[in-house]
Amino acid sequence: MRKFLKAILLFIPLSIAIYILMVIIIGNLNIGTLQKNLKYFVGAYGHTNTRIKEVRKNKAVDILFVGSSHAYRGFDTRLFEQGGYHCFNLGSNRQSPIQTELLLARYLNKLNPKVLVYEVCPIAFSTDGVESTCDIISNDVVDFGALKMAIKQNNIKIYNTLIYSYYRQLLHRDANFTEQIVKDDDTYISGGFVEKKIKYYTQEKIEGNNKAALNDLQKESFEAIVAMTKAYGIKLLLIQSPVTKATFNAYVNNDYFDHKMQQYGTYYNFNKMIELNDSLDFFDGHHLNQNGVVKFNKAIIEKVLPN
Amino acid sequence: MLFNSLNFFIFLILIFFLYWFVTNKSLKLQNLLLLVSSYYFYACWDWRFLFLLAFSTGLDFYTGLKIANAPQKQQKKMWLWISIGINLGFLGFFKYYNFFINSFADAMAQLGMHIDPFTLSVILPVGISFYTFHGLSYVIDIYYDRIKPETNFIAYSVFVSFFPLLVAGPIERATHLLPQVKKQRHFNYLQAVDGLRQILWGLFKKVVIADNCAEHANTIFNNYTDYSGSSLFLGALFFTFQIYGDFSGYSDIALGTARLFGIELLKNFSFPYFSRDIAEFWRRWHISLSNWFRDYLYIPLGGSKGGKGMQVRNTFIIFIVSGFWHGANWTFIFWGALNAVYFLPLLLLDKNRSNMGVAAEGRFLPNLRELWGISTTFILTVLAWIFFRAESLTKAFAYIEEIFSKSFFQMPAISANKGELISLALVAFFMLIEWLGREKKYAIEKLGFSWPKPLRWSFYALLIFTLGMYMQTNETPFIYFQF
Repeated sequence: MRKFLKAILLFIPLSIAIYILMVIIIGNLNIGTLQKNLKYFVGAYGHTNTRIKEVRKNKAVDILFVGSSHAYRGFDTRLFEQGGYHCFNLGSNRQSPIQTELLLARYLNKLNPKVLVYEVCPIAFSTDGVESTCDIISNDVVDFGALKMAIKQNNIKIYNTLIYSYYRQLLHRDANFTEQIVKDDDTYISGGFVEKKIKYYTQEKIEGNNKAALNDLQKESFEAIVAMTKAYGIKLLLIQSPVTKATFNAYVNNDYFDHKMQQYGTYYNFNKMIELNDSLDFFDGHHLNQNGVVKFNKAIIEKVLPN
Repeated sequence: MLFNSLNFFIFLILIFFLYWFVTNKSLKLQNLLLLVSSYYFYACWDWRFLFLLAFSTGLDFYTGLKIANAPQKQQKKMWLWISIGINLGFLGFFKYYNFFINSFADAMAQLGMHIDPFTLSVILPVGISFYTFHGLSYVIDIYYDRIKPETNFIAYSVFVSFFPLLVAGPIERATHLLPQVKKQRHFNYLQAVDGLRQILWGLFKKVVIADNCAEHANTIFNNYTDYSGSSLFLGALFFTFQIYGDFSGYSDIALGTARLFGIELLKNFSFPYFSRDIAEFWRRWHISLSNWFRDYLYIPLGGSKGGKGMQVRNTFIIFIVSGFWHGANWTFIFWGALNAVYFLPLLLLDKNRSNMGVAAEGRFLPNLRELWGISTTFILTVLAWIFFRAESLTKAFAYIEEIFSKSFFQMPAISANKGELISLALVAFFMLIEWLGREKKYAIEKLGFSWPKPLRWSFYALLIFTLGMYMQTNETPFIYFQF
């Protein structure tokens, strides 16, 4: 038995070393097809890299926006600045409560907002959050918080991405990386918003049997966020951004989700508060175009913020 | 609790340490630990069916004693039939009730009589087909005086429910496993290391080969009307490797795990895709089930005695029953019958035992005759798997019809991320290693034994890396758990 345990104890470090080495080799080869379980997304969709670089330099704000693409494409910081609110949009691609918790732990203290506007959409609460975690790990610092988040989700893609990102961080491989401000129809606006060159939406058929559900891990993180805002004395506004009617109605239990959110704080479901045109105010089933953003943000400034 | 889950590995490490460090002084305690852990393992699937498992175990233990102690043949036979009747009754109810009732309604509809079948939403207890067969072989062997009944209930229960084989085999025999359960086990370094190696290879087969192939096979089979004949053939190839990787991978993990506890289980696979004819294939595929049917169905039916007519009849019976054992669907029955048809020429020409050894024994490459045999057997097998995988016979025939159309000569569809190419490359690597190790118990049993130890260990570490880089990230259950 002693020989067996000794062999195991020798084999484990060897296999860990070879594993790390191979992840680095495969990562550096940068051939997508070979990287099935490595999702290194530096400078990828959603301008997370630019946003993270900007938030590190930012000072205190009145309003901080967090959430998924609904947030960074839905809250135009320029419109809020015009309304007299200094703000920052820390939304990111497919951001779910697990990643929001980490981002707030990192930047809430520094930004010290008076109001936290949290865009809550049902998908973010039911997703496993793996893609979004890989996005944050690739574009922000790899530290103990990132490791904790990885362990919480316990997914091999996240571990591989963590290893590779940490290697790049140690060797400053992305020190000179600068993301393009304009990518196709998207333009990053200082303050975290991403403006889509106006597009109009042609409605596609959507199957109408989706169910909003709160994944246990997401719920745990969401409750931690609510507790964090209370501890910091920050006002928390939960807002569900408008989506097209077909997308909204594809969920058969919207009332259940509304009810759940109301339990956590002040909640506004803008699908029920403003009238938008599916073709003229959206560029796809989930996201507002700039026409829609203007209407939506104006409604927040007028109806929600004064309260 | 799946073999390819983190929970299983935590469970395994815990039981391993308790087994060798806490209960190692007492056989009784070791068996008790195996029994409790096996019941816990089973309860993780569905605790409600523990009662069924316990009842089935108790029934066969009791009827085994009754058969042995009955003074007259008539009484022995009565107890045997009680056991067979109840065991097959449970199996029939849980697995086949809806199939029979729906088939009956369909048959009546053909005769112009419409009845509303009373179907039940029956949950299939995991592993019922396997542990039922354990118990049946035990009572039948007692009836034929091949073994003495077991008087130690704990030992007998471990034989039926030992967790590595509980949910998907191999289908053990009391003559093989019970003596090991009753003998004091001592830790053996070589056996334990060999067990770990086999677990590693089994995991590679399951999470890298089977799960990746499954992704493509599912896409193609579920949308088969959208694909060309060449793509459909590719889909069938993916399923061919999926089912082999899945089931033989499971068996490797089961055998390796048992070895960590000092127990040897029956070999279940022996490189079936290198078979030179279909008879050899069936001596190498799901060996414990084939042997079970041979010993408890084919031979009692008369086996090879009584002329060719009888042999053909018996061959069709065991293949069809074997197909039906896999599931309550006409596709499985047809799959079994098709294999019997494949088998028929060999049987009629007395060539069903002409390839008893290993292909290209002692050589690296097969000769042309072997290559022809391996290729044709493989293609026949691929075509038969289409029936196994398809949802209905109609869909299976439509699938095959498209393969044999002009569109077979089009380029097969490869998705934008080229995942199929990576999967095919992994399959090629897998089959190369299998070919190199085809004369051994499992492919990597002795692979690299002539290399320096760090190099051999690095190869194992590379396999672990391959698991991490190419595994499917959502846990996927083993196919054979449904049978």
